[in-house]
Amino acid sequence: MGLLALLRKLKSSGDKELRILLLGLDNAGKTTLLKSLASEDISHITPTQGFNIKTVQSAGFRLNVWDIGGQRKIRPYWKNYFENTDVLIYVIDSSDRKRFEETGEELGELLEEPKLSGVPLLVYANKQDLQHSAKASEVSEGLNLNTIRDRVWQIQACSALTNEGVREGMDWAMKNISSKGKKK
Amino acid sequence: MPSRAEDIMKGFKLNWMNLRDADSGKILWQSSDDLSSPGVEHEARVPKKILKCRAVSREINFSSKEAMDKFRLEQKVLFKGKCLEEWLFEFGFVIPGSTNTWQSVIEAAPESQMMPANVLNGNVVIETRFYDDAVLVSTSKVRIFYV
Repeated sequence: MGLLALLRKLKSSGDKELRILLLGLDNAGKTTLLKSLASEDISHITPTQGFNIKTVQSAGFRLNVWDIGGQRKIRPYWKNYFENTDVLIYVIDSSDRKRFEETGEELGELLEEPKLSGVPLLVYANKQDLQHSAKASEVSEGLNLNTIRDRVWQIQACSALTNEGVREGMDWAMKNISSKGKKK
Repeated sequence: MPSRAEDIMKGFKLNWMNLRDADSGKILWQSSDDLSSPGVEHEARVPKKILKCRAVSREINFSSKEAMDKFRLEQKVLFKGKCLEEWLFEFGFVIPGSTNTWQSVIEAAPESQMMPANVLNGNVVIETRFYDDAVLVSTSKVRIFYV
């Protein structure tokens, strides 16, 4: 049942305030993912022209999820939102093979950002409900995820539309927030 | 020439606000268009059943023509002018020409501590102040009626 339930599990973590950053190309499904996580209606979602933030608070802990628009003209502003990120979630439209190269380049740049160095990475291979979508393994290969050595990472097949796989990915993210908290 | 603070204020618009049952994600109340007119206390007629929700979310949508570097808000829930709950949130940078939403989810007080609808009715105000650093950009007040 959404972020509040996830946050309740986290009470052992050392941090009082946690930040998840959700990035990816336009039309990858970031906002849909965030809304589907909260069981909200996803039938009228328009391209994000800025950010959408969800903040949940429970027993003194706070979780902030930042979804930043992915349009080309907005991407130069992403860097303003890197600081203090505990987990980076990168969303990919697995049905849009034509843009795998573009999304791979954007992800590559993010991984080189000093402010995101060592930050755990979850890649959602979204839109698995579409028949012609690439499988998670194919996305992973296309993006050379196997060459990532400087952080923990995970790829999760999902459909923000049917909710399949979304929860599994978030569980991974929350687990890895905790492990980062311990290192500090 | 207008100051930067004036430009920011002029270019800022509160678009809408809503309240949801955070368990089901269903909208229980959504503001009408008049929310953007500043300096007016707005009224929200919210179904009583919101008081039975285990968790409620408040969502706010705003646009800014100008970039802001230290954008933040202070949201207070007031009962007869007394502060029951306060949220501080730092957004930091706001993209010029952007439209943004912020949603906060809060757990309800235990039912034993919850005041009944007839006591709360008309006495609760959600007050939201938006700042860029120390400059007050906008204020919104919404008085809640439980129907």
